[in-house]
Amino acid sequence: MIYTLPHSIAYWAEKTPNKEAFRFEDSVLTYEGLYTKMRQLSQFFIDQGVRKGDRIAIYTNRCLESVIAVYGIMECGAVFVPLDITAPPSRTSYLLQACGISHMVTIPSLKRKISTLLGSGSSLLSVIGAEADATVPSFSWDYIYALSLKNYSPVNVLEQDLAYIMYTSGSTGDPKGIMHTHYSGLSYARLSAELYGVSPRDVVANHAPLHFDIATFGYFTAPFSGATTVLVSDAQTILPQSLAALISKEGITIWYSVPLALIQLISSGSLQKYTIDTLRWVLFGGEKFAVKYLNHLMQLWPSARFCNVYGPAEINQCTYFHIPNLLEEDATIPIGQVWGNSEYKILDAKDNEVSGSEPGELVVRTATMMQGYWGNPVLTEKSLFKVKRDDGLSNSFYRTGDLVKKDSNGDLIFLGRNDFQVKVRGYRVELGEIESVIRVFGGIKEAIAFSHIDEYGESQIWAKIVTEDDSQPEINKLMEFCKSRLPGYAMPQNIEVMEDFPRTSSGKINRMELLKSYLKV
Amino acid sequence: MEQTIIKHISEVLSNEGLEEGLDKSDDLLGTGILDSLGMMKLILFIETEFNVKIPPEDMIIENFMTVERITHYLSNKKELPIS
Repeated sequence: MIYTLPHSIAYWAEKTPNKEAFRFEDSVLTYEGLYTKMRQLSQFFIDQGVRKGDRIAIYTNRCLESVIAVYGIMECGAVFVPLDITAPPSRTSYLLQACGISHMVTIPSLKRKISTLLGSGSSLLSVIGAEADATVPSFSWDYIYALSLKNYSPVNVLEQDLAYIMYTSGSTGDPKGIMHTHYSGLSYARLSAELYGVSPRDVVANHAPLHFDIATFGYFTAPFSGATTVLVSDAQTILPQSLAALISKEGITIWYSVPLALIQLISSGSLQKYTIDTLRWVLFGGEKFAVKYLNHLMQLWPSARFCNVYGPAEINQCTYFHIPNLLEEDATIPIGQVWGNSEYKILDAKDNEVSGSEPGELVVRTATMMQGYWGNPVLTEKSLFKVKRDDGLSNSFYRTGDLVKKDSNGDLIFLGRNDFQVKVRGYRVELGEIESVIRVFGGIKEAIAFSHIDEYGESQIWAKIVTEDDSQPEINKLMEFCKSRLPGYAMPQNIEVMEDFPRTSSGKINRMELLKSYLKV
Repeated sequence: MEQTIIKHISEVLSNEGLEEGLDKSDDLLGTGILDSLGMMKLILFIETEFNVKIPPEDMIIENFMTVERITHYLSNKKELPIS
């Protein structure tokens, strides 16, 4: 019976051992190979004294080792925490400490970054996959692959045990860790496999880095279905020129990414050069897709169906909208219907259900929902809408913070946020986090961050500041400061000094007035 | 040329503080030094700084993997007769 994520690998390793589970550049990991290697890594952690529920970091770019790390960590009952290798070391150190992480899995090419992390005084007890400083014991991948499985005795992992924690921007300045169990992760794999009819014949392209929640399709859904996942390399995502060749050569049948990756693919001008007729599904999510580009792709790839995917990382995916045909240039793409094993309500400001097509906050109850935020029961409680039951207990709905309404077809339409969260290249950014970072810099009295839409329709973060004593702060230094604390996508691209902000009668900053000139009319 | 590009990457474009400096043979694409936006900005910088045009078909991994590869690509390009 499959009730944990690693069970999928055991199942297909038995059924189709030589089938390719993952491909990366010229390397291959078969189901049998993955099954062996994940247990070797699990054995290693058991020997190290890792206990069920311990958190272990994955610090790699897209590569086959990341897959072995994901499944090896879960196999030993531990919880994997994927980290962003492009994040500043101070942020990574914070996560390691906040999450109480003692072991980190990595690859040799990131040795320099690991040294920097260890240098800044981390809590790490061991590094797996790269030689680190002499201060911390390190173990090579060859060492792991040489471990014997003769006396391997699997850890008893339950579906309600924690499987992974994904970090996302937090409005108070510290990132928050979204905790998922084997049950919620596997529910996502099951529901998405069924919705898109994923089978062993499929070849799934994984474009997102592991710390981005849409990677769960390539890392969980495909292996659950016995399919093959092709990990797009970091280099290929940076130079989208090579993506068309990849889709054609690898015979990709399912593509899933943020819209930006597809727009870059179109803009690279390389699409016409390759025959792409294997694609069945193109899934996109994380932010809005400009209709102009979507139509272009639909005409170019007639074999594929296109689906708008919606769902905050707290509940993985929860709605879908299959694009029926070419859209009018000014059409709004709905986020569509709630999928299986899920229900929703649309609430007004007083938590009463709205009627008809009135707008309100979307709250969702689903099998794919997180268990809560790591170490933050207060925030977890705040994120839930509870409905009392007759038995005295209650059902919990996740408050998405997204404003939606139902259109005349009964499809959900995304209208915006009810707070200060924005999306940049598909990543969630809490404006409050950026403002807190700016305010820590000396001499700054107040800061307002906001999202500015550039000429290509992409959001960028901009900020305005008021200084303490009308001094001119060095914007370059402030930018450097932000760079050392924020991930690249959250970096303000423009910071402007103002004498004072417009105020409301009570003296509060009048955000609407301040940003009026940036809002689209 | 090499130094100009290295300086621009480490001071302006890089995602991280490159404390130990950037070497001409460092992998720009596989270790998180640049993201796709950073790469677009780098190409724009090279075009203006060295007065060249980089066509989309040249924006491939082989030409942009390291600073060494970039300068190699640019110098080969210059030797081509202008048509």
